[in-house]
Amino acid sequence: MKTPDSLNKARLLWDAFCSIKLTIFLLIVLAATSILGTVIPQQEGAIEFARHLSPWQFRLLSALQLFDMYHSTWFRVVIGLLALNLIVCSLDRLPGTLKLFSAHHRPDRSKPFESIPPHRTFSVKEEPQGVADRVTGYLRGSFKRLETKKTRQGYFFYGEKGRYALFGVYLVHLSVLLILTGAIVGSVLGFEAFVNIVEGESSDMVTLTKNRSQKWLGFRVECEKFSVSLYDSGAPREYRSELRFYSNGKELKRGSLLVNHPITFRGITFYQSSYGTTPGGKIRLRVSKDGEGTSSEPLEVNSGDLMPLPGCDAQFQVMEVDENLKGMLGPAALISVHPVNGEETRFWIFQNMDMLRKRFPPAMLSSPFLNPSAFEPYTFFLDEIESKYFTGLQVNRDPGVPFVWMGCSLMVAGFFITFFTSRRSVWVRALKDKGKIRISVAGGASKNPLGLEKELNQLTRRLQDLLREETNQ
Amino acid sequence: MINSVILSYITFVYFASFMLYLVMMIMGRELFGHLATIVTGLGLAGHTFAIILRWVESYRFGIGHAPLSNLYESLIFFAWAIIVLYLLMEWRTKNRTPGTFVTPLAFLIMAYAAFSSIDSRIQPLIPALRSNWLIAHVVTCFVGYGAFGIAFGLSIMYLLKRLDSHGKANMFLRLIPDSAILDELTYQMIAIGFILLTLGIITGSVWAHSAWGRYWGWDPKETWSLITWFVYAALLHSRMIRGWRGKKLALLSIIGFSCVIFTYLGVNLILSGLHSYAQS
Repeated sequence: MKTPDSLNKARLLWDAFCSIKLTIFLLIVLAATSILGTVIPQQEGAIEFARHLSPWQFRLLSALQLFDMYHSTWFRVVIGLLALNLIVCSLDRLPGTLKLFSAHHRPDRSKPFESIPPHRTFSVKEEPQGVADRVTGYLRGSFKRLETKKTRQGYFFYGEKGRYALFGVYLVHLSVLLILTGAIVGSVLGFEAFVNIVEGESSDMVTLTKNRSQKWLGFRVECEKFSVSLYDSGAPREYRSELRFYSNGKELKRGSLLVNHPITFRGITFYQSSYGTTPGGKIRLRVSKDGEGTSSEPLEVNSGDLMPLPGCDAQFQVMEVDENLKGMLGPAALISVHPVNGEETRFWIFQNMDMLRKRFPPAMLSSPFLNPSAFEPYTFFLDEIESKYFTGLQVNRDPGVPFVWMGCSLMVAGFFITFFTSRRSVWVRALKDKGKIRISVAGGASKNPLGLEKELNQLTRRLQDLLREETNQ
Repeated sequence: MINSVILSYITFVYFASFMLYLVMMIMGRELFGHLATIVTGLGLAGHTFAIILRWVESYRFGIGHAPLSNLYESLIFFAWAIIVLYLLMEWRTKNRTPGTFVTPLAFLIMAYAAFSSIDSRIQPLIPALRSNWLIAHVVTCFVGYGAFGIAFGLSIMYLLKRLDSHGKANMFLRLIPDSAILDELTYQMIAIGFILLTLGIITGSVWAHSAWGRYWGWDPKETWSLITWFVYAALLHSRMIRGWRGKKLALLSIIGFSCVIFTYLGVNLILSGLHSYAQS
């Protein structure tokens, strides 16, 4: 059994959480702290940024988890508090709203008429029953719920519409909770990964973004072809990967993957994220003997194949291909020449030899390792290395997404109800007054008092027109 | 290109309507107000024509897309949204005084687009922008920003009106509508802006989900739009539940609009992120 004291404490806690001040405070805290993460580089960006910090600055920022603040414990706690605040507030107010929703208003109340402006009262000279019928007829057209009452003094009407507007705000609150649920479901049950696949190759493993560990997909995805198309101006127009999905060696699906057009296979979605080139393993080169110039036939060589050297018994082999050796020497291939007897000779050959001779001192290029004429009397010329594209795919599974979209739709619906509809009540009374009938209009609304005012004035004018017009006939 | 030439002239048209609204308020002559409305309406017609022309021209270049794809085009659309919403409000409330506070906003935006170093050429869409969500996202965001801009103008009016607590001040302040009306109008504009901002964030989120594989990534642009959303959410709660009115709300609305401007321009100019195509 709970003691009164603990009940009291629970009550206090409840009150604290259903306070709108707390809501406003939490919203402002979220807004203000979110700024930090847009100023301090986050995640990967933080590594470069952290190098410019003094040790104590670094310790402070990392203690506050500011290098990944949107995933930090404290930020999640603030969001959690807001969610709790929202739940408690909604639960606290729901009974009151339900009561208001099902409240029964007597048509013959006099309180609503206490302070109505004079222009909302007018008199007509007519038979009471006829007036009552016409007023009922008119009000029925614009109010869903209409109650009438007849007393000795006259007729009383109560019209009401838009009662469901009271629930708009609950829809909005529910939608926020749905979106948060979606985010949690996604982070617990989903994953985010990436994989680079060279044209013509395939993979059944992806790398998780979170901890760089490998994850098995359960099927194999192949990049048949990757292409980039450009506008006339040279700006990129389209990145396209032709993908095939295999399981147990059987092709189950194929499709073109474009930016903005992801492909989903077995609940895992693939996105076109990046691309690059990688040496394709094939190079074109020429070999000349005794400095005969560049007269020899171009040869196409696959990396690793042993090729006969023209005009002698030696053989050569391409050991390695690099698109840009050491990040500055440009396209290069490592050649190994095997004479019939004797030692193998290894050296790099470069596509941009002329450029390198200009840029680097001769002493540097004189090393036999960088000399294309190292196997005398031959000189090797690299014409081209064939490169292949690889496609960079983002690979996600997020079972939380349907919750998020559901929440978003509900939120928009909730806003429309909350902002653009309101519960409006209208009281009209027609009192007998010295042979005439005095008609007055009063009302109440859950919000938008100016709109209500307009509507009541309009209603008064309509009733005036309606009753006067027919009197004239 | 002819469309950007027309648009740079529209800048002066909006300046003229600002001047006319101002003269109306200083002299208290309704005639100038009528003229101001006519000039603004003509400006809007030319503005709309130039936007359509730009759209058509982009198809002639073979890179057809809605003119909503870079900083220049978004500024032009932002000013357009402000004027459309303003004229609708003027027509509904039959009050011209907010024109004095709203048209200069449109004028400044147009002037920034036309006379700074912003590239006004029609550029082809990069792959990430080639999506059906482009129009929905940009239109909802900027019409929402426009509504917040008008709410900002109304809040300034509210603060000025407070100077005239005895009703004895000059013509200018006397012509400003009652505080209660301003407060209600501000609220309505913020409600419209808030729904559109929400729709803008949602459409952006759906788009990001298909382009980048996540619906939310705490990119600076996304984060700042959320900050703006939080500020206006706080404002709406304080008004709806706690019944805050007047000065506090006017100040929050001004803070909110500063967040809008930072989300729009500050993030591109100061912070870096995935939304960088809005930079040039």
